[in-house]
This record gives sequence, structure tokens and C-alpha cells, in this order.
Amino acid sequence: MTEVHVFGVISAADGAPSGARTIAHRDVAAIVNEAQPDRTVATALLRAHSRILEEVAREATVLPVRFGTVMVDDRAVVDEFLAPSHDLLAARLAELAGKVQLSVKAFYEEEALLRGVVEGSPAIARLRERVRGLSPDAGYYERIRLGELVNAEVERARERDAAVVFGRLEPLAVDASNEPISTPDSAVNAAFLVERPRMDEFSAAVVRLGKEFEGRMRLRYVGPQPPYSFAGDDAKPGVPAWA
Amino acid sequence: MAIAHAAPSGYLERPRPSGLADVIDIILDKGLVIDAYVRVSLIGIELIVIDARIVIASVDTYLRFAEAVNRMDLTKTDDSDTLPELLDEIREGASSSKTKGAIDGAKEKLGIGGGDDDDDDNGKKSTRSRSTSGGSRRKAKDD
Repeated sequence: MTEVHVFGVISAADGAPSGARTIAHRDVAAIVNEAQPDRTVATALLRAHSRILEEVAREATVLPVRFGTVMVDDRAVVDEFLAPSHDLLAARLAELAGKVQLSVKAFYEEEALLRGVVEGSPAIARLRERVRGLSPDAGYYERIRLGELVNAEVERARERDAAVVFGRLEPLAVDASNEPISTPDSAVNAAFLVERPRMDEFSAAVVRLGKEFEGRMRLRYVGPQPPYSFAGDDAKPGVPAWA
Repeated sequence: MAIAHAAPSGYLERPRPSGLADVIDIILDKGLVIDAYVRVSLIGIELIVIDARIVIASVDTYLRFAEAVNRMDLTKTDDSDTLPELLDEIREGASSSKTKGAIDGAKEKLGIGGGDDDDDDNGKKSTRSRSTSGGSRRKAKDD
């Protein structure tokens, strides 16, 4: 019995990416490979997961399976996953056919951002002056208060900038998702579901946005990705996502 | 403070493949979840990352912002670094190794070092030594 790592689901008509094979059931197929005995090498597994799914996504439609999913053997993949979830998987694949995820992340040029915040708020500028005159220990709570005020302004800037990004790019997409940010200099982390024939048009809009934001924000443009943000996370209807 | 580099021309014309940072950002907690009773395991690192995102509006973040605005020279008009600023940068470099954010902790647990991030050359810079803040999750369509 060999445990298998499950990466995603494709149409059985599509081929397996390099470094993986498929297990088919009717018209759907799971992308798998032999599970690594050592599951502590998470970095390598993460890279493999991302590379395998992205390779498929270049040409075909793929439903990603949650990272790190391992099943007992090939038969379990069919009996416990592909067969019971067949209709749901086939329907999702059909819905997402011909569409890819493109991610647009914006990061602030921090100095420009914070300069704007201080210059735009007399209250922050005053508190800043006061804190600068205090020793680090004496000014501890004032510094926290100052940071809190700055953070609130940064949050407002994020909302404004997200509105610009979504306002500009969402009309070119089938769906859009505002994803959580993960660093303090992040402005926007946006995911778009885009029809393949519109990718060039979408990219051109990203270029224009990048020019507009120059000096204030840097953009990172990633894709084509599998529809991570749009494929849902329930493998079975009626089963809670986190069983 | 970060020095703004001109972006290489054409860097947005085509989307790039995901780097490791993108993987952490978006891939880790996404995808179909197969019933817990029939799978062998689900590698538990997404929990670490969710933990990392909880630090959204933490004291760490506030103090870092406070430090950044305090350091700022508002009278500065040109781009040349003054001596105090250079000293600040050196101090910042030294202190950033002491005050690690939650993402760094998570990445350490994942065995992800800054050095092996070779495919993440574009976009994020010097975000690794900072604490994290996770945005509230919301679908754009729900707003």
C-alpha cells in the first residue's frame, strides 16, 4: 500500500504534469504522486504543490486540493474522493473551464506612505513631535498610540487603494476576491478569475495601474494560477470545510 | 528606510509564476478539503500561518510604524541619505534580527530561509523582518 499525495483535480482528458501522475474516475482525474515519507520538508512540498498545479493551469483547468493532503492509496482516492464527489468536481471544472486566476498584489513604498500620513494628519504630527522628545521607556505608551493612529491611516489608505485596484480590474474579470494581506507594507492582495482570451487585456490594465502607482506602490503580478480563490474548499456538498 | 528602485520596464506585462511568498500568502489555506475520516493526513502548517495572520493590528505593528515615522526626516527634500539616516539603516538592520515577526517564526518552522527564496525576486522587498498583519477576509463581491 503506497500513500499518495493529492494535488488537484482535472478533466480526465487532460494529461498529467511532469513529476506527477493521474488517477482517473469517469471524466475526472486526481493529480497525485507518491507521498514523501518525510513530511517535515514542508518547503520542498510547498514548491512541488505550487509548481505541479501551476504547470497544469497554464493549459488546462485544475481544481486545487488543500496543500498536504495524503490518502491511503490509489483506491482510496477513487472510492473516498473522486467517486463520491464526482458530480461536484465535474460541475466545478465545467464552471471554471477556460478561466485562470491572476493575482495582483500592491506593496507600499513605505517612506512615501508614512510621509503622507504624517503630513496629512495634524494629530499624528503633534504626537510624533512629542514622542521624539521622550526616551524609549518613558514614551512607550505614546509610541504605541502613535503607531495605532498611523496604522488606522494605513488601513484607510488600503481601503482606498483596494477600491482603485478592484474598480479598474474587476470589470475585466469574471470574479474577484480581496485576499488577506500578510505584511505591514502590503496595500492590496487581490485575486481575479479571468477568461483566458482576456488575459492580454487584463495584463495591459495591470501595466497601466503599475504606472499610475509608481513611486507610491509596487505591484506584483502573479499567474496564471489555478483558481485557488474561486474553486471553493468543500470537497463534498454538505460537509463542513474543516471536518 | 527602503530606497525606491525604478521597476524594470515591462515587469508587469506578463504575470509571473508564484514565488514562495505567494505560496505562503495564498496557497496554503486554499483548495478542496477532503473529509478528515478518509485522508491520512493534512500537513499542519496552515495552522501556523493562520496564527501568523492573527497578529493583524498588534502592538508590534504599532511600534514598528511609530519607529518608522519617528525616524522620518520631514524636512528632507532630496534623495541623498544623510549620515544619521545611514546610521538608522544600520541600526534597523541590527535590530530587525532581534525583533522577528510571526511570519518569520512560521517560515522558520517551515524551514524557509530568506536565502533560498530565489524565485521570489520581484515585488516584496525587506518584508521578511517585519511583523505581520492579516487583512480581514472578505470577498470583493460581498461588499
